[in-house]
Amino acid sequence: MSEKGVLDGIRVLTLEQVHALPWGTGFLADLGADVIRVESPDHLQDRKAGPFPDGKAGEEWWNEAGNLVYYGTRNKRSLCMDVTHARGKEVFLRLVETADIVTDNFRPGTMQRFGFDHDSLSSINPRIITLSSTAYGYTGPWRRAGSRARTVDAACGLSYLTGYEGGPSMRASNNYMDHSVGNNVAYALLLALYQRKKTGRGMRVDLTMLETGVSAVGPAILEAQRGITRDRLGCAHWWKAPHNVYPTRNDDRWIVIVVSSDEEWENLKDAMGSPDWARDTKFDTALSRWQNRHELDQLLGEWTSQDDDLELASDLQARGITAGACMTARDLVNDPHLQEREYLWEFANPQVPEVRPRVFAGRPYRDAGNPMTLSKVAGLGQDNETILSELAGLSQSEISDLQADGVIFDAPRPDESRP
Amino acid sequence: MPGILSELRVLELALRPSGAYCAKLLADQGADTIKVEPPGWGDQARHEPPFIGDVPHPDRSSTFLAFNTNKRGITLDVGQAAGRDLFGRLAQSADVIVESYPPGQTGGLGLDYETLSEANPRLILVSVTYFGQDGPYADYQGDDLVAQAMGGYLYAVTGSAAMPPMGTALQQMEITAARNGAVAVMGALFRRDETERGTHIDVSTMEAAVSTPSGLIHPYTYTGRNPHRGGSDGNVMDGMHLPTLDGEVTLTTAGTGGRPMQAWAEFLDEPGLTDPKFATRGGRMEHWEELHSLVAPRLAQWTNLDLMRKTMARGLVIGLVQTPTQVVESPHLEERGFFVELDHPETGPMQYPGSGFFIDGDNAMAADRPAPQLGEHNVEILCGELGLSLRELGLLRAARLI
Repeated sequence: MSEKGVLDGIRVLTLEQVHALPWGTGFLADLGADVIRVESPDHLQDRKAGPFPDGKAGEEWWNEAGNLVYYGTRNKRSLCMDVTHARGKEVFLRLVETADIVTDNFRPGTMQRFGFDHDSLSSINPRIITLSSTAYGYTGPWRRAGSRARTVDAACGLSYLTGYEGGPSMRASNNYMDHSVGNNVAYALLLALYQRKKTGRGMRVDLTMLETGVSAVGPAILEAQRGITRDRLGCAHWWKAPHNVYPTRNDDRWIVIVVSSDEEWENLKDAMGSPDWARDTKFDTALSRWQNRHELDQLLGEWTSQDDDLELASDLQARGITAGACMTARDLVNDPHLQEREYLWEFANPQVPEVRPRVFAGRPYRDAGNPMTLSKVAGLGQDNETILSELAGLSQSEISDLQADGVIFDAPRPDESRP
Repeated sequence: MPGILSELRVLELALRPSGAYCAKLLADQGADTIKVEPPGWGDQARHEPPFIGDVPHPDRSSTFLAFNTNKRGITLDVGQAAGRDLFGRLAQSADVIVESYPPGQTGGLGLDYETLSEANPRLILVSVTYFGQDGPYADYQGDDLVAQAMGGYLYAVTGSAAMPPMGTALQQMEITAARNGAVAVMGALFRRDETERGTHIDVSTMEAAVSTPSGLIHPYTYTGRNPHRGGSDGNVMDGMHLPTLDGEVTLTTAGTGGRPMQAWAEFLDEPGLTDPKFATRGGRMEHWEELHSLVAPRLAQWTNLDLMRKTMARGLVIGLVQTPTQVVESPHLEERGFFVELDHPETGPMQYPGSGFFIDGDNAMAADRPAPQLGEHNVEILCGELGLSLRELGLLRAARLI
């Protein structure tokens, strides 16, 4: 990228693990901020999580960019430093003087124990913005509880409403909420920077996974206040029919079809060659289609079972019918639309060439004014030296001492277990 | 404190939930957001059930109310030249326009970026569509379910392995597209401060869906394995929902110091859980029915809130599977002041979710106004700000422009 990123000059120090917060600070890194991921030598779970290339952890497994490494460190710098060590803490506080943002996703209390709470950091740097991304926030009776994305799907009301028609509730996702929270983290941090331009003062952001989740289920929150309950409908709809997933002739390959109006129903009927069953008056109106939707789904499914999923979806769309194949990861990686839009990024990490080029998901938006690329996936402690010399003003011998004394690391401790 | 975005004017011409939610995110931070709706019918979401009080009414759709907080509303037929002209006048002073027309249609309406930016070079145009502005699927028809299907979510994420694909409730792909759009707008605002130039942002809901499950592209490209739904099937400790005395809960093995079964055996007072056959994830899956028969009766003795309190004290991580009513009545959210009350003339006061973050202790969500009634601010904006006379407004109405 010839042009400088729009957040060039903004520095973020982030004490982050797992998914939600790293996903959020990743947006700032993509926009050109200097995001320094401060990694603990004693918590390498993210780098152990995999998946590893071809299912096997290699010699330098910590840099092979499993899931959380790629999404968590892309376009960032890595400083692997024990901030609980007195000298690590001292260096961290020196970096805070040069930073605009400090983020963490520890449970409330941990940052204070480190001496990194907002008031302490703000006394060093009044322009500092701090953001803690936690499960339930810094106040309230549940503040000490931890979470996973799935437990937030549950607690916010989303999972209760998710499930097959007539069946029990099911977890809505594995880590959708991590992404939703990550997006909200990015939005909140950019808002805070925007506000600071006006006031010159830093601020404290208390962002929670639970509340981000609840903000995504607003309609159900309003309904609950007036006694309206939603039934679980699987892929069916409150008032549209057909609106479901249907089998095709290929094993475990499916297609969704959505009809929102009589006109669209006529269109679908034509596409099917107007079979006798579809001309039955019980399917003539939106109301009667919905009332007879189980029968309609059954009959429509018999029709879709004769075709190939991808071909049928494409044929229906050519007729203006709302339809789509249930794509697998393999389909997506080979999808002509995503390829033409350059949504997928192929990346070879020069640090671990044996991993070979792999395909990664890009960002779901394009802005010619703020082009984004994947230029780096940070290795563990890859940037220790440059950060410590350029930003913390340490000499080469001071840096060597930190390494020798077990404060900074560029590889796991010798006794660290392999994944 | 005035909202962070209070100097901004946003126009929303969104025919889809994603665009409406994207504009809401800006409005909730104080941006003066004007929702522009087609005369007569308005946003389709006004007419979609469920309705508050169960009475079908354009101001009672729960989705419409939830997705349009803090906006003002006017009606304008941008399909007619005079309507486009008025919209163009509003667009001249707008910072952001959020639109969701099919990509081919904006040109004919004069709503394309070239036309709009010629009159207002600082304009940031956000187009939120299902498949983006270009590519082979650009003209495809979409909705949330199609985005879940074509984004890989349906096949691999939510449902059971032995059942057809199944997705998440409540239009989450629309929302995740909207959240990405709001982040993009902020990036464009910073850029505009440097260059004095706006931009055109192209958000794809399908791509937003692909971006959400990171366990999709990545395992495939790393291992060749095609991820398949069913992650919670038989997964007693890390995925299933299990009944309690007054609800449901989902357990995790987190926070157990690497000894999950010992920790849970102790907590639930069920020594059978330490049987070596449950020691590994694979073992727990293989013997899940037996495991379930040990865990479920123990959990069924707890109420949700007691279970939350006691597990929290032990550092165990669980998720209560809360009903929306339990969320509304949550003592935790109450104490934090998360909900914001907005009083709507048709429904009366209701509690709306906040933005998900507090700044310096204050709820960051604006509480300026509930969703607008159809054409509620026509006089205020078209007369008060564009300088039309009431007589002219009358003519516009007669011509079905407003």
